[in-house]
Amino acid sequence: MRFFWGILFALIIANTAWANNSRTSVILAEVDNLWRGSSSHAIATLKIQTQHYSRTMTLELWSKGKEKSLTKVLKPLREKGTITLKSGNYIYTYLPKTDRTIRLSSGMMMGAWMGSHLTNDDLVKESRLEDDFDAEISFEGKRNGQNIIEFTLLPKEAAAVVWGKIILEVEAERHLPIREIFYDEDMQVSRTFTFTGLKKMAGKIRPSIMHIVPADKPDEFTEFIFETLTLNVPINDSFFNKSALKRHKR
Amino acid sequence: MHILQLSLRNTGRNKQRTAVTVLSMAFACAIMILFSSMMAGMIQGSERQIVEMNMGDIQIHQQGYRDDPDIYKRITDTAHILQQLAQQGIRAAPRLYAFGLMATHGTSSGAHIRGIDMQREKTVTKLYQHVAVGSWLDEAKPKAVVLGKKIAATLGVTIGDELIFVGQSADGFMANDIFFVQGILKVVSDDIDRSAVFMAEQTFRELMAIPSGAHEIVLRRPSPQTDLTQLTTQVQNLVPEYEVKNWKELMPAIARLLETADIQSLIMMSITYIAVATIILNAMLMTVFERMHEFGIMKAIGVRPWQIVRLIYAETLIQTLLASAIALIAGWWVAHYFSIHGIDMSAIMDGSISMGGLAFDPVWYTYVTYESLFTPIVFLIAMAMVAVMYPAWKAAWMKPIDALHYR
Repeated sequence: MRFFWGILFALIIANTAWANNSRTSVILAEVDNLWRGSSSHAIATLKIQTQHYSRTMTLELWSKGKEKSLTKVLKPLREKGTITLKSGNYIYTYLPKTDRTIRLSSGMMMGAWMGSHLTNDDLVKESRLEDDFDAEISFEGKRNGQNIIEFTLLPKEAAAVVWGKIILEVEAERHLPIREIFYDEDMQVSRTFTFTGLKKMAGKIRPSIMHIVPADKPDEFTEFIFETLTLNVPINDSFFNKSALKRHKR
Repeated sequence: MHILQLSLRNTGRNKQRTAVTVLSMAFACAIMILFSSMMAGMIQGSERQIVEMNMGDIQIHQQGYRDDPDIYKRITDTAHILQQLAQQGIRAAPRLYAFGLMATHGTSSGAHIRGIDMQREKTVTKLYQHVAVGSWLDEAKPKAVVLGKKIAATLGVTIGDELIFVGQSADGFMANDIFFVQGILKVVSDDIDRSAVFMAEQTFRELMAIPSGAHEIVLRRPSPQTDLTQLTTQVQNLVPEYEVKNWKELMPAIARLLETADIQSLIMMSITYIAVATIILNAMLMTVFERMHEFGIMKAIGVRPWQIVRLIYAETLIQTLLASAIALIAGWWVAHYFSIHGIDMSAIMDGSISMGGLAFDPVWYTYVTYESLFTPIVFLIAMAMVAVMYPAWKAAWMKPIDALHYR
């Protein structure tokens, strides 16, 4: 009899663990798909403030699935028409000034994207939380008067990830991200993403502002602001071809 | 008795023996001349490689630039500093550095672009003479770049090929432009070979949006005799707010290596000299002991011991001087030949030799100095004089009866 209860107990434990895991991945998938859906189109403003310069850019973005995205600079005039294409693990940049397309080498992945605090690697690794990290809920309850769930994401052993750890806070009810803290391999805070500006976009309340502060330069920031967002728009795969890049310069 | 006449006649008498002795000494001495020139060439070559190629004698940087080469850590009052240095007779050149990506069809590589003040740089370093293919930068072509050897290979470019640079300019915009390959350098140092892209100062300033200032000022001492440490202090006093370091402080490992190279070369030389001394001693012993019988007869007819010593010494001197002349001509010629053509070590050294981040040319050039020519000759004469001491003494004071029976 004791044996039977033992089996049952083990099953219950296993079941909760599974339920927990599936809940974790469901929420993470929700966060991942918040701004992209199966495909997306958006107009966004990028504000960059550093010790040496501050600038504002307007970008038009398209994405399809996890693998394909295309970003085109609309403003300022000096950089108008610059296109960043992400296709799988590669990033191509079309430079209107030189009328050339180049592929970024792996050595450039940690370089700044468009002079911001985002790296080229961020573009490639985007929406890969589920694939590259083992997530678990490390806190659930009230924090700063808000019901939240906190996830701790540790990189999987085989994953090619530069972060030591990511802490992600989401709203408990709507599963909207509040804050995401990236730790480097020495487990020091490297940068903090804050999500604000809740606004109804593509039929749902979503944060429209992503504020990024590098830990070593607290006076600097990059702000990514969604102006418009449309999800699940029909886009052909060929739109994201390297050979099609020049077509976009119009 | 005319010793000189007699000794000349003696040397001429057995031509074969004289030739063997003279040639073996000359050969040994010529080898020493070549070896001395090779050692001098190595030391001189290494120092030139470091200082003349890229390092300069002294470098000025903004504080902390070397640890974190940030594009914003610049020397701001460049023109003023250059003017002050010029007043003190110190040659100097400003340089600008930035990192970015150089791309060509299909491939790309991280690049360390270097903006060069073409006129001033030529007064400071000899990099412009170190181009393997193509030519050095020239003012008429603002879009020309000169690449390090390895980065050119990585990108797979040759002269005239197009390169696209992408990076981030100082004002936060994306810096990008098309360049073309004007020249590819020979082996200089690891970092230059792997990533350096040289361009004109003005081109760099426009590309990276840096209208003024410099990341580095490179100095050369007025003359090779100027004391490096003293000059470093002098320059530091001139620009107290910046970091001033001489090449020995910038590359301590290499500096120590070269300082000990003198001692190393001394040890190597001693070993060679000892080997050579053995050859000379052998030759001298042979010539004297072979003629013991003859000396015995001379003694028997009343030649005094000191006269025999003098005779042997005179003969030795004649032979040594003859050997020296041959050695000087042959050694000089060979050493001079290799100072122009070099000894190609690439077959055994596999491409290039690299020590402490500094790549050495696999072609080893000799360096002919008065020292490398005449030290071996002085040594040869001294060695011959010492070597002949024992046989001369033996011949001079031997009993005539023993000498006559000497076999």
